[in-house]
Amino acid sequence: MSSSSLSWHIMKERMSAGRMLVIWPLLAIFILFSSWGLSDPKANLPAELVIDSAYDVMFASTAFIVLSATMGAVLISFDGVSRDRLSGVLEIKLSQPISRSIYARALLLGHWGAIFTPVLLLNIISLGIIWYRLDDLPSMEELFIHTLATGLLLLWYTMLQLLASSWAKDLGSSIAIGLGLWMIFTLLWLVLTTVTAGLLGVGVENLNSQEFVRIEAIIDLFSPNGVYHHLLELPLSDINRGVSPFVVSIAAILWSVIPLQLFIRRMERMIP
Amino acid sequence: MSASGIMEAILTLTDVSWRHKIRDFSTWKPWAKRDGPGIHSINLEIKSGIILGLIGPNGAGKSTLMRAICGLYDSAGFDKSSPSRRRSVGYMPEQVRWEGRISVRNSLQTIALMRNNEVDIDNLIRKVGLSSKSESFLDDLSQGMRQRLSLACALLGEPKILVMDEPLNGLDPLAQRAFCNLLKDLASKGVAIVISSHQVTDLESLVDRIALLHHGQLLIEGTLPNVRKKLDLSEDSGIVDMICSVTGIEPEDISLDLSNDDMIPFKQIGGEEE
Repeated sequence: MSSSSLSWHIMKERMSAGRMLVIWPLLAIFILFSSWGLSDPKANLPAELVIDSAYDVMFASTAFIVLSATMGAVLISFDGVSRDRLSGVLEIKLSQPISRSIYARALLLGHWGAIFTPVLLLNIISLGIIWYRLDDLPSMEELFIHTLATGLLLLWYTMLQLLASSWAKDLGSSIAIGLGLWMIFTLLWLVLTTVTAGLLGVGVENLNSQEFVRIEAIIDLFSPNGVYHHLLELPLSDINRGVSPFVVSIAAILWSVIPLQLFIRRMERMIP
Repeated sequence: MSASGIMEAILTLTDVSWRHKIRDFSTWKPWAKRDGPGIHSINLEIKSGIILGLIGPNGAGKSTLMRAICGLYDSAGFDKSSPSRRRSVGYMPEQVRWEGRISVRNSLQTIALMRNNEVDIDNLIRKVGLSSKSESFLDDLSQGMRQRLSLACALLGEPKILVMDEPLNGLDPLAQRAFCNLLKDLASKGVAIVISSHQVTDLESLVDRIALLHHGQLLIEGTLPNVRKKLDLSEDSGIVDMICSVTGIEPEDISLDLSNDDMIPFKQIGGEEE
């Protein structure tokens, strides 16, 4: 059986959930307002940020996607498995003739679609904003890489959260694991990077030093947000942090495959 | 049923065993688990058109056996990896708490998609008496309505075997009567039904055969008169008397203490009692 119709159904269910009333405005404020603000030619930005093209605006505004859309993925998926497990509905679902690995993939695609669709729509609107403000549009290659990287970032967060949801025995633990991971990757990663660099003997008094940037680029490969930014940097010729596109691609593949396999394995072995 | 009138076995369980894993905490291995209670070497034939009642005290293994039949466990002698067998089984677990801002119809559609069945959802909703609630959110359903929805899920795809764990819980007396009538009707069409219920009066009037479980073992199976005969009980004795007889409890000594060693029957199996 193809999982596409089931994923589509799950996605529609998730998109009509009450929590979308919170997620939609959150995404709209972060994505649209950041595009509007960053595409203002008179905007006063930190010294190292130079915005002179549509892709530069999209690149800079991804900081707000990282803050809002990844949180949206956590909020949509935290009860993806645990709620059904607690209520007993999972017993009914897992007794159906569908294979558990197909069901796991359908769950993943359904939850991912529920967060990626609004982000994609808002990104399209923000393109209109950028065009209106800067009279410039990104190239097809830049657009493709931005969309692919955003899609992958949300997929990774959705997988991690569904995995947490399948491990947790209650909703509280599930959201605690999800939020904990989100905080580590989004808010605490720089602290972890600095500590690691310090332990490796790299001076941390100047975060723009070539040595620190190189260490940071390597440590970023172990974080979904870091790999996301590596992917987004691919079309930018003026940024080179010393990690080759090949290594970035491998990291992206590993971030996609390992959590997926863990989730499928977990669903196959789960006793409801 | 075959032309000769002998009921065909739809499913044969041979030496089906399953042990739950329970925590076995120790300082050096806090994650350690050990085998807990479960079911042990169950041999049972499920025949078309027969309503089989699973009976036994709490913790006897009725629900575990039902889950094993539905393919929820990789139990010895009966693994979960056969979609064709699972397609022939409809399962209604005990007390499902359907919840969320999803309509009854949508919930049924999800399960129908998982069965890959083209199903007349409206007809099914009518059959279980949920017509007026088909567009209601799950959060707004009473427990009785939730039971009906679980029943509708079990009936999806016209299964050959219906497995129902305490299906009468939460239903009002009229709904219970209608439910029993529906089961009899399905059985007359050749559907095999495996049912457990603590409402023994209803069960006695409903089942064709009973299977008595205790401590994970199938102690006795047969028609009610047959079981009475095997246990040397009088004709007016009921299910409670049968449970007392096989577990060794005196009817006047019945208490809620199920861990009493006196209740352990003919042979002990591993697990919590080890």
